[in-house]
Amino acid sequence: MMGRILLGAGAAALAITAQIAAVHAQDAYVIGVTGALTGPSSGTNGPPIEGLRLYVDRLNAAGGINGKKIQLNILDDQAEPSKAAANAKRLLSQDNVSLLILSSLSSTYAPVVAESKRANVPLMFMGAVCPKEVYPPAEALQFCTTAYAGGYDSRATLDFIKTAAAGPVKLGLVAMAIPLSRGEIDYAEERAKTMAMTTVDKEVIPPPTADYTPFATKLKDANANWVFSWAPWVTEVKTFEALRRLDWQDNYIAWSHIEAEGELARLKDGKLYVIGANSFFQDRLPVHMEIADAVKKASIRYPAEQMTEGWIGGLVLESALKKAGWPADAGKVRAALESVSVDTKGLRGGPLEWSKDNHFRARQYYRVYRWDEAKSAIVQAKDWTAYEVQ
Amino acid sequence: MQLAVNIIVLAAIYALLACGYVLIYRVSRVMNMAHGELSMLGAYLLFAAATVFAHHPIPALIIAILMSISTGVTVYVVLMRRMTGEMVLAAILTTIALGILLRGLVVLVWSASEQHPLQSLGFTNPSLAVFGGARISTCAALIVLMAALVYGSLFGFLRFGRWGVRMRAAGQNPLLAAQRGINLHAIYALAWSLSTLTGSIAGMLIALDSGLDQSMVVIGLKAFAPALVGGLDSLLGALFGALIVASSEVLAIHYVDPLLSDVVPFLVLIAMLIVRPWGLFGTREELDRV
Repeated sequence: MMGRILLGAGAAALAITAQIAAVHAQDAYVIGVTGALTGPSSGTNGPPIEGLRLYVDRLNAAGGINGKKIQLNILDDQAEPSKAAANAKRLLSQDNVSLLILSSLSSTYAPVVAESKRANVPLMFMGAVCPKEVYPPAEALQFCTTAYAGGYDSRATLDFIKTAAAGPVKLGLVAMAIPLSRGEIDYAEERAKTMAMTTVDKEVIPPPTADYTPFATKLKDANANWVFSWAPWVTEVKTFEALRRLDWQDNYIAWSHIEAEGELARLKDGKLYVIGANSFFQDRLPVHMEIADAVKKASIRYPAEQMTEGWIGGLVLESALKKAGWPADAGKVRAALESVSVDTKGLRGGPLEWSKDNHFRARQYYRVYRWDEAKSAIVQAKDWTAYEVQ
Repeated sequence: MQLAVNIIVLAAIYALLACGYVLIYRVSRVMNMAHGELSMLGAYLLFAAATVFAHHPIPALIIAILMSISTGVTVYVVLMRRMTGEMVLAAILTTIALGILLRGLVVLVWSASEQHPLQSLGFTNPSLAVFGGARISTCAALIVLMAALVYGSLFGFLRFGRWGVRMRAAGQNPLLAAQRGINLHAIYALAWSLSTLTGSIAGMLIALDSGLDQSMVVIGLKAFAPALVGGLDSLLGALFGALIVASSEVLAIHYVDPLLSDVVPFLVLIAMLIVRPWGLFGTREELDRV
């Protein structure tokens, strides 16, 4: 009898809690996030979610937007397509989110995009590579705040190699065996041909690899004098380190993921370049100080420089929700996203502006950093260079 | 010559990881699907110890090894002991749940960022020139040496050690072993601690060589293929399985397509399952129990 009473009381408590949560959700902007919080790519895809949460917590503490709090419903997909699909389905059908945010490997994109289209809810890529669908003419429901983007990144990197190389370029290329990384490196290979560079080897490395030396051996044997890697950081840096262990002493350029600043300082290698669209915290801009301060106060376990992507995501979210007003359904949020214009305060080379046709940005800015052995510090190898997005 | 070195290093990694699967299966017939996670946890324990004992490698290593052994014992006492007498499938599912739990726990405690215990310990990992112009990193050389040491010790222990003989007896016929006064729970706990220790050593050395992140779980899972190829109840089989899988993988990367490296271990495994389902050195009888 007592057991039944307890069971009944428990069920009643659960029902009341669920009702409170529902009322709470109705009184807040509900945003869904699915991302690789654990799994092989979590080092790159996890911190942006933490950065977004940090930004949203600050917004909520300051009273929210339009007098309403933002509720982030965050689910882990471990960079697995099936889990990402299940997360998206749950967030869209059960939680009724008005915006879905994705920070995961590109292998998760197809199922999440399909769910977003089915529910007619906008999808924002944040901390996950921008797909081509956000370029003009953009898909109506897809938006991207992330720094890296297929096509433009390779163009900027090869332009840099061309100006930095002393002689003929024998190019080695490194990708991870995931759709967008492979596609980008294939694009780089084609583009290199038009720039009189010889591609001597291309390695497509599976995500879980016990030892990168066999791949590095091929790059070294091919006599590459420049290696370009556009992949999650784990693949970029482990291939580089394997090459150095094989006594390969030439130049390596990698996409500047959120880990890059800390890693340049760890590796202290003058011939390791990182190209990216985010400024480094060593530039000590006021916004960097603001983020560092917020990280310290919130006791975040990630370094402050890894919060940039999430912070920019937060800036965009704030701007869009302000425009969408209250109450904001998916349609209003989408309309607001289509006219977003955000001052990145120096975190990027310029503002992040979206239009009906362009859900990426009007201009993409690149900067190259490297370690300077003489100064024992990270230095700019090339300052902001703008590329028009067409 | 570099190819040969690459094969030896990868084989040593797989061999170190695979022997953990074999130890537990041989003694208790349980396939430990959390072995990759336990190896990763061992590496994180080293990172934690290295953070506390920064630039004091000896105490950090000793503490990490002791914690790894304790982890193995704890997993058995708290979790797997309750599975004794239950269906093997229940025990396997328990290890899968344990793996999921450990993955989440590691992110909660240490975050998903890549960690570098080598730096915290104050070590460097210089590249060494070996024969024929080939090169090997110091930590990779250590992995090879440690694999030889671990396998030598395990062969000696299982053949000549009193507890080793008991382990073999418990594996062959647990009922008879129990009737002869062998404490099965102590034997199983020992198997779990040794398995976790060898997996952790592999995890620690991989982390020292190339950093530590969640991808180690998948590396641990890939080492399941060499264990099966060699025969799940044979340590010698794990050694040969590791060599076969590593050779196929490195040669496929070099001569065919790097993309195959992910597939090759499992292609070898499928081929072995078709030709000789109990593995190279496994016993046919064991298959019926699986």
